[in-house]
This record gives sequence, structure tokens and C-alpha cells, in this order.
Amino acid sequence: MNDPRKTIVVTGVGVVSPYGIGLDCLQAGVLSGNCCLAPTKDVYPGFQGTTAQVCGLPHPANGASSRYSRSDRLAMVAARDAVANRDCESVAIRESAGVFMASTVAGLSEIDPGIAEDPAAWYRNDGLARAATYPPAHVADAVGEHLGVHGPRCAVSAACASSAMAIALAANMLLDGAAPMMLAGGSDALCPFTLSGFSSLQALDPDPCRPFDQNRKGLNLGEGAAVLVLETLAGAAERHAEVLAVLRGWAMTNDAFHTTAPQQQGNGLADCMRLAMEMAQVSGDEIGYVNAHGTGTPLNDIAETSAYETAFRGRSRPVPVSSTKSYFGHCLGAAGALEAAITITAIRCGALLPTLRLIDPIESSGVDWLRGEVRRSSLPLAMSVSAGFGGSNTVLIFGNRNNRS
Amino acid sequence: MISNLAAITGIGSVSPYGPLAGLIPPCLLEPESLTAWTTAGPRRAFLVKPFRPASVVPGLKTRRLDRLSAWALVASSLAIQDAGIDLSQLDRSRVAVVFGTGYGCAELTEAFFQSAAANGWRGTDPSPFPEGLANAPASHVALWHSLRGPNITVGSTGFAGETALIQAASLLRHRQADLAIVLAGDTLTRTVYEWYEAAGRLSPACYNSEPLPEGGGFVPSEGVAALVLEPAGRREARAYAQFSSVRWAAGGGVAGGCAADAIRQMLDGSVPSLTICAGNGAPCAPSSVTALAREVGGPSTAIVPAQAVAAGLIDAGGLLHLILALSSRPRKGPALLLGTSGDGGFAAVLLELP
Repeated sequence: MNDPRKTIVVTGVGVVSPYGIGLDCLQAGVLSGNCCLAPTKDVYPGFQGTTAQVCGLPHPANGASSRYSRSDRLAMVAARDAVANRDCESVAIRESAGVFMASTVAGLSEIDPGIAEDPAAWYRNDGLARAATYPPAHVADAVGEHLGVHGPRCAVSAACASSAMAIALAANMLLDGAAPMMLAGGSDALCPFTLSGFSSLQALDPDPCRPFDQNRKGLNLGEGAAVLVLETLAGAAERHAEVLAVLRGWAMTNDAFHTTAPQQQGNGLADCMRLAMEMAQVSGDEIGYVNAHGTGTPLNDIAETSAYETAFRGRSRPVPVSSTKSYFGHCLGAAGALEAAITITAIRCGALLPTLRLIDPIESSGVDWLRGEVRRSSLPLAMSVSAGFGGSNTVLIFGNRNNRS
Repeated sequence: MISNLAAITGIGSVSPYGPLAGLIPPCLLEPESLTAWTTAGPRRAFLVKPFRPASVVPGLKTRRLDRLSAWALVASSLAIQDAGIDLSQLDRSRVAVVFGTGYGCAELTEAFFQSAAANGWRGTDPSPFPEGLANAPASHVALWHSLRGPNITVGSTGFAGETALIQAASLLRHRQADLAIVLAGDTLTRTVYEWYEAAGRLSPACYNSEPLPEGGGFVPSEGVAALVLEPAGRREARAYAQFSSVRWAAGGGVAGGCAADAIRQMLDGSVPSLTICAGNGAPCAPSSVTALAREVGGPSTAIVPAQAVAAGLIDAGGLLHLILALSSRPRKGPALLLGTSGDGGFAAVLLELP
């Protein structure tokens, strides 16, 4: 298993988050415990709630703004950030690197209810190009065109597990030899469609969310994008690239239980963690930190807690867990990639991040709820957990750059 | 490159040909007039005729589902039936579902926008929201069949169906699943149809009952095709095709822009007995995909041109193209499924026909 051709490493991380552009901004924000969630009133008439927005998102240099949705633009900026200063822009890489992007919103942010009343008139009135951004594949195409990469290109849409799944599938593709390098991640913009949808489901907490707290009331929506540069260790070594982290294991499962509700015992998610640990050839005791899905909804957090108890049963100490959605909300299809970036940051900084506003945690003998101050500790291995509507689960395990099986 | 790993052992489809298990009997279809919404004049498309899913798959409950999810359930059930698989004998945590789509549940997205138009964003109807997510059909397939393996919904401009097939094969190769249900499809809705029209992409055959012309647009279509993919030789089952290898690139194609060279390199000297062209809205002989097929195989290569009914599915037509080609009783040997994105990208899947 120590074959460098079969070891997947991360050699770049690009981020656009409510903290700003770049991993450094994200790192500084989460380490300082800065919360980006803020009262929001103007997303659509009558909306009052709490969200985390990205300010000052640059427009594409070529000025063709109407060709790109906000999700596209978030993804393009994150992808550019991922490859900056990492020698990923050589001709050879540009010609063969692949793109695997995730989105659930994609171009929905560019479409308004007028389309439903008279589509033809809506298209005539500047809607044609905006509607073309609707398919999730458009986000992958936008990234590919922006960077000029010509390898395999596709998109995944698996609700809130989407971008973690994009990273897992991109890793599979590297092992398949489909491309020497993959840019994988996710992007989703805040928009009336999703805010209204989650509001109609009564899933939003009007105040800043409190994941894993007994008094949690729901989630807050955020927006952002993250893109990881993935390649084999052999490929990275060949071009003398700095390895930021090793993707040690990944797994995907489905609850097959309900289209929106998680299975209450969290069995599907627990299976997913177990499979990822099997792939990484590590035991539960070796996982030093779990970046949880932790939406703050009553059903998710209970199921997820049960999943940790099942997956880490037999561990000598409770497993340290936190939800960083308490910092900048739930970024939907981008959440898994943003949380992968945070997990890599945690490993690199030796920092176990707390869940903000966690006062009265769900009772669990198997979980060490991180709260209060950042806990400093050497962190060879950490896990990032994602789940979504439709019962999809994805788990990624990252190790520090010296950590290979 | 993925190689020598999987066999297609079951086929199911819900298409303008009807709901069918296995191959599709030869039949020439004409586009039908749209009646689901008021149009500015005659408008035609290849449509799935309404049917009662429970009459095709007894016990199936689809009353609360949109057409895409309902068709995915029917097509997957027919493919499993065609493969002769008893799911109760399998470890269902090892069965994956991979769905390729261009627009996902467009009907429900439209319904949500309609409720916002009628009631404002504060008064939207919650029911279409979670069901309108692109991965809803795949999750319904998992839910109905109790499949707890990876559940993946992919999109890829020009070849979402081929991408689903490739990702499913990759899951089998990496032993992340022992069996995969691969699906691809879309529904035709008013906003989708009128987008094609506004973009000037429709064939003249959409406006009158003339024969399909030799180019210039396409006739929109709808439906879902499903395949069962198993590791080759896992059990004694009829295989429609063995999955042999894959090469793909997108958006400007591979290094130097020469897709044909890259595909020939993948073929490693083997000569496909036929090439199945999966057109992305370009159903007729002079399409870019046919030109690429000629370039790869030379003038003597047998080419199955893009079929109008499948080509109208645009991104999601690849699996239906494959089923139609297999249904035409092709000769044995290597066959190439070739999809293009229209901007130099391609997906090439080499199959071995037994």
C-alpha cells in the first residue's frame, strides 16, 4: 500500500469562503474563532435570517459575466487559487489535468420565478445565457475553461455530500490513470431558491446555528467554494511539488432510508466511516479529529452522533468532534470540500477546532465534543464527514504529509 | 484508463419506445405533438407516453414522484429483472447506483419556481424542494431496492450517460461496489424545450411533420435508460457487452487537441468492429461525433450513427444510444461507444461484444 503511484496526495488547496479568498484567510478565521454568520434581510423580500456571504467576489477577467453563474465564479476563483504558486500551470499539466466539481445550486442563482410564467419571454429578456448555467456540469466546464485544462471533466450533484464525493471520485480517477492530476471540489452560491426551500422546510435557525447542542434549531446557509489539487505521490514527487496532505481513505454509502431524513441510528454513515478507515488501514484510535457534517438540524445531529458511537466503538478515548458549520454556515454542495480544506488546515496546524456556541452538547459517551478554545495537538490523521438529502454519505480521511500507510 | 473489468448483464429503459426490459425491438418513431403546454404553433418532440408504473413493475409506488424519479425506478427494476438478479441474495451495501443527467428533476424545479411566482419566495411549496435535487432519482432507486452502496449523480456536458458508465466501472474496479445500476436520463419540460428553441437548436422537424433532415438541429427527447454492470465473469449470466477500456477528455480535448490520436492510443491496435456514435443534439450523419468516428476508424469502419430519439436526450443520451445499437444485432468484437461534448471533448468507451 506504500506504492507512490497509488498514494493520493493534496498539493494545492484553493478556497473562497466568507472569510475571503485563500486558505490563509480561512485558516486565520477559524483559528481565531471568528464567526461569519450575520443577520441577513435582503436576499429576497421579506427574508430575515442568518447567513454567511462572500463579499467582493471578482468578475471573470474576460468580462463575459453573463456566461457564468455566481457558483461558477466562486469555483473559478477557488480553482485559480488552488493552482497558484504550485507549478500546476505548466503546459503538460494544463493539457491533461481533469476537473471534478460539485454543485447543487449551480446556475439556479441566476434564474428567477419569471421563468415559470413565460419561459420564452424570460429567455428573450437576457435569460438565455443565464439559464445555460443551470446544469451542475456548467461549473466544471467553467473551471476547465478558466484554467485551460483539457483532461476529463465532470460534475457530481449528491446534495450536501457532493463535493466530498467529487474528491473521492477524483481520487478513483487518478488511480484509474484517467488523468495525472485532478482539480476536485465544490461550489455553491447563496440564492433565494435554496433559502426559500430550506425555509419552507422549516430547517433554518433564524439565529447563528448551534450544531450538536441540545437546543439547536436548524441550520444557516453560507456560500463558497473549495478546490483541491489531487495527484499521485509519484506525480507530485516527479514535479517536486509540496505535499500538503495525504488522502488516506475515502468511502461512499447510502442510507436507503428516506429522501430527506437520515437513518436515526446513523448506520449508513457509520458504515461509511468504517469503510474509509479500512481503506486507510487505520483504526478508530488513530483518528485524532473529526470534522463533522454537523448541520445543526435536530435529526441530522442525533443520527450523526449515533454514527460516531457505532463507528468508533472500542476506541480507548472518546473521539474529538466539531462542526465548523458554526463558523460560516452550511455551504451545501461546497461544504464537503470546504470542510476538507479545514481538516487539512487542522492537520497542518495541529489544531482541533471547537464548535462555536456549543453550550449543552448532545449526551454521548463516545464523543469528545470540542468547544471553547482551540485545542492544540499533533494531528497525524483526521476525518471529514459529509452527508446529504437522498441518504448520501461520504467520508474522507486525511493524513499529514509524512503519514502514509 | 480503466480496463477489463465489467460486463453489462441487464438492460431496462423508459423511453419514447415505451418501458422495456432488455433490447429495444426495431421500430421507427415519429416525433409527437406537444400538448403538455400551450405552444406558439405546432411543436414536436419524442415523448414518453404516459403509463402506470405499477402495471410494469408490480407494487411500485410512484404517486408522489416526478416523472424522472418514477422512470428511474421503472428502468432500474426492468434492468435488474433482465439481468436475472435476485437482490435478496446480494449484499445490498455493495450495490452502487450511478445516475447521469443533464437537467436533473427539471419538472420539480419548475414547480418550485411556479410556487415562488404565485406566492412569492416566502410562500413556496416545500414539497418540490428536496425532491427537485438532481440526486433524487438515484436516491429513490436506492430507497426502493434498499441499495446502500455508493449513490452518485453525475453530469458532464455532452456525455453524462457515458460518464455514469465510466464512474460505475471505476467503482467496481476499486471494489467499492460489487454491482452497479447505471442510469441516464432527463425529462422534457417547457422551460427546457423553450430554451432549445430560443437558442436556435431545434430541428425543422420540430415544427412540421417532414422527415428528419440531414442536419441542422435536433428533436428533443426524454426518458431514462438503465444498465446492470457486474464484474466480468462474476456469475454465469448473459453479457450484452464486456466493458473493455476508457479514454476521455473534455473542453478542447486532449493534448494538442487531437482526440482521434488519443482514442487510437487507447485502442492499442485493436480495430472496433463498429463505432456507436452518441450525438449530443446532433443526430445526423455529418455530426462532429461521426466525423471523429471516421477519423478514428478510417473509411472502412462500420458506424452506427447517432439515433434521433437518443440524440434528443442531449447529455443523457449515451446509454440509450448504446442500447439501440446493441438492439440492432451488431457483429461480435470490439465496439466503441463515442460521445462528444461539441467543443472538442469526448468520452470513448471500448466494449467487447460477445
